[in-house]
Amino acid sequence: MDVDSDSDISLFGDEDPRAKGKGKGKASERPRKGKAKRKAKEQAYTWEASYTRSWDTVQEDETGSLQGSVEDLMARGRRRRLLAPASAIRRTIIRHLVLILDLSNSMMDRDFRPTRFDLALRYAREFVAEWFDQNPLGQIGVVGMRSGLGERVGEMSGNPQDVLRSLSDRAKLEPAGEPSLQNAIEMARGNMSHLPTQSSREILIIYGSLTTCDPGNIHETLEVCVKSRIRISIIALAAEMKICRELSDKTGGKFGVAMNEGHFKDLLFELVPPPVQQATIRNAGSGSGNPPADLMMMGFPTRLPDTSTPSLCACHSDMKSEGFLCPRCMAKVCDVPTDCDICGLMIVSSPHLARSYHHLFPVKPYEAVASLDDTSQSASACHACARPFPAAPSSGVVTEGISPLGRYRCPDCHHDFCTECDVFVHDVVHCCPGCGK
Amino acid sequence: MEAEADKPSHLAVIVDLSPTQWYLSAQASNPYPLSIESFLSQILAFLNAHIATKNENTLAVFGAFPGKSVMLYASTETLVDEPPPLDANSYPPFKMVDTTVTQRIFRELDTIDPGDEPPCALVGALTKALCYINRITLPSISTSVAEGSTNVPDPRILILSVSPDLSSSYIPIMNAIFSAQKLKVTIDVCKIYGPDTVFLQQAAHLTNGSYIFLERRDALLQYLIMSFLPPPSVRKVLAVPRQDKIDFRAACFCHKNIVDIGFVCSVCLSIFCQPVPVCSTCRTKFPIKALQRLKSACPSPAPATPRPLANLNNAVPRTTEATNHGTPGLR
Repeated sequence: MDVDSDSDISLFGDEDPRAKGKGKGKASERPRKGKAKRKAKEQAYTWEASYTRSWDTVQEDETGSLQGSVEDLMARGRRRRLLAPASAIRRTIIRHLVLILDLSNSMMDRDFRPTRFDLALRYAREFVAEWFDQNPLGQIGVVGMRSGLGERVGEMSGNPQDVLRSLSDRAKLEPAGEPSLQNAIEMARGNMSHLPTQSSREILIIYGSLTTCDPGNIHETLEVCVKSRIRISIIALAAEMKICRELSDKTGGKFGVAMNEGHFKDLLFELVPPPVQQATIRNAGSGSGNPPADLMMMGFPTRLPDTSTPSLCACHSDMKSEGFLCPRCMAKVCDVPTDCDICGLMIVSSPHLARSYHHLFPVKPYEAVASLDDTSQSASACHACARPFPAAPSSGVVTEGISPLGRYRCPDCHHDFCTECDVFVHDVVHCCPGCGK
Repeated sequence: MEAEADKPSHLAVIVDLSPTQWYLSAQASNPYPLSIESFLSQILAFLNAHIATKNENTLAVFGAFPGKSVMLYASTETLVDEPPPLDANSYPPFKMVDTTVTQRIFRELDTIDPGDEPPCALVGALTKALCYINRITLPSISTSVAEGSTNVPDPRILILSVSPDLSSSYIPIMNAIFSAQKLKVTIDVCKIYGPDTVFLQQAAHLTNGSYIFLERRDALLQYLIMSFLPPPSVRKVLAVPRQDKIDFRAACFCHKNIVDIGFVCSVCLSIFCQPVPVCSTCRTKFPIKALQRLKSACPSPAPATPRPLANLNNAVPRTTEATNHGTPGLR
């Protein structure tokens, strides 16, 4: 296929009656495999390859209803994520992200409802909440691009409430003027320059305009970003710009153009899970380029109740009764995670750390049960939620890990689970109810 | 507030049924011995009270047996073969709950191998309760008619614990807690026998539930009814005892010790109780310099023998004392 991938017309299916004349010469010159022929027969033009013909995959059942197909598609969609490769990849867990919002005039366009600006702001808030849920040790700063300047909207903070507060005031963020990519990226870079090496530095730009007015050469900024390993991801709301594509490609980030509201959200939320660590992509295989790792000493504090005797806290010298006790020097601090002001020990509450453990020890994917013949006795209901299994198979075909019986079996404890519990266990609980692991 | 309080509530009770712990609990040498028989009769009265509070209230009971967890009762399921015979002296729904729960407990206890006793499958029971809550709160085509209405019950979980912390189940328990947070499920814990458990304290704290250590075990039913019967929306206006102090310690990955100062891998956040050259989880090698620095900074050489969990109680007062005369913030 690669030989004439640049040509517009790839017709060499000489068996196709519609393709007479045009494809004859080519087909005789280059004998091709049957697979390529079949593919060529279905698509007249190469650009069609990127379109999935969703109507071809849907099949009516004997009564002419689509219900079965629709349910099948839904179940498949839910399970698709579970079938992702389970190979070991290294992800960054301590993340630092600067969210750059376009606050230029072009954000007032109404192609996204109600406006690009309102939608971006709403999704940004949802993004921040979800991001902190999955990256509890991370920090987010917010920068706005307005009137040709980079504007610091929110300081780098590990507290979701602080970040959300900076995004909550719509009147303060009212769009005006032209955006400047360079100014904003430089400001974001300045925010992150002091960070330790083992944490990731990322910039996420939500960009609505098609122009940027920069004071200098933006390619120099790009070079510096590549050098300091800042990953830039861009979501464009209007169209693709060469410089945006280049920024994200060269720094290892993602680039996407939102087609509609739903797609915008999908693009944004794809950036929530921790990214694969950059160094492993760059020099894949070579052991020398291992990213710097370190052992950190951390303390797990005891939380004091609201009713304890008031005392002064080490961080603000405020008189208060609640707080956390540093396990090493017994100083009282107001909030965790933080560094102890007295002894410098990093204090985190263990639930913060534990939130990311499901990335480390994922639940083994359940196997779809194809038939009940090989098992001597099978449970009549889901092992987790006691929902009864359907008695008869819904459709005869077993495809892509969908069980016709609606049963999914844990490879360790051999208990059967229903579709909902399968998805729930792998997506939310991260712990198998049968084996407790 | 009233609309909120009017919502029906779903209660999932997880009963820890470890034979050894219940045997120890019934010993006459305890200040207030509590046998499993009297425990069961009190808990059944509590379950009946929950059903009686509101007609739409639903109930699920899960048992954590050694090495296995079982659904003992659920409002939507029939788990016994034949319904109990009607009795003029008892209210049928109560009778249904009582007979189902007791029958199933005795059936499970009969199958327990008297030899080796594996630890109680509390995690399994907790995840099952969450899966069941997920099932009844998700409007789905395949669920039974009972949830046809839009009136989704307000879910919560009550754990009646007698076993000590099982540090190998730290990660699964934390995962279950986070999913409970996501589902907005309150987890209440009543510690009936044995030392305080750090993990369940954190569970109650993180989900806004209450953790109660039973001091007068002869008054179990009173504790249950006064503090765990009202749903969380009502509890805001009641003075339900909350736990006063939460221990945020974690179990290390290497020896399953519970530590207050740990060494954490920067790549995967695995916790170790002493500096290690290679992370056992992600196989990252740590620089020698950092190791030497940490070894010298280590306050005391890490204990070679795992610190037993029972010492946890002794460790707590130490921190309290330090607070009382601790104003180290003056600078």
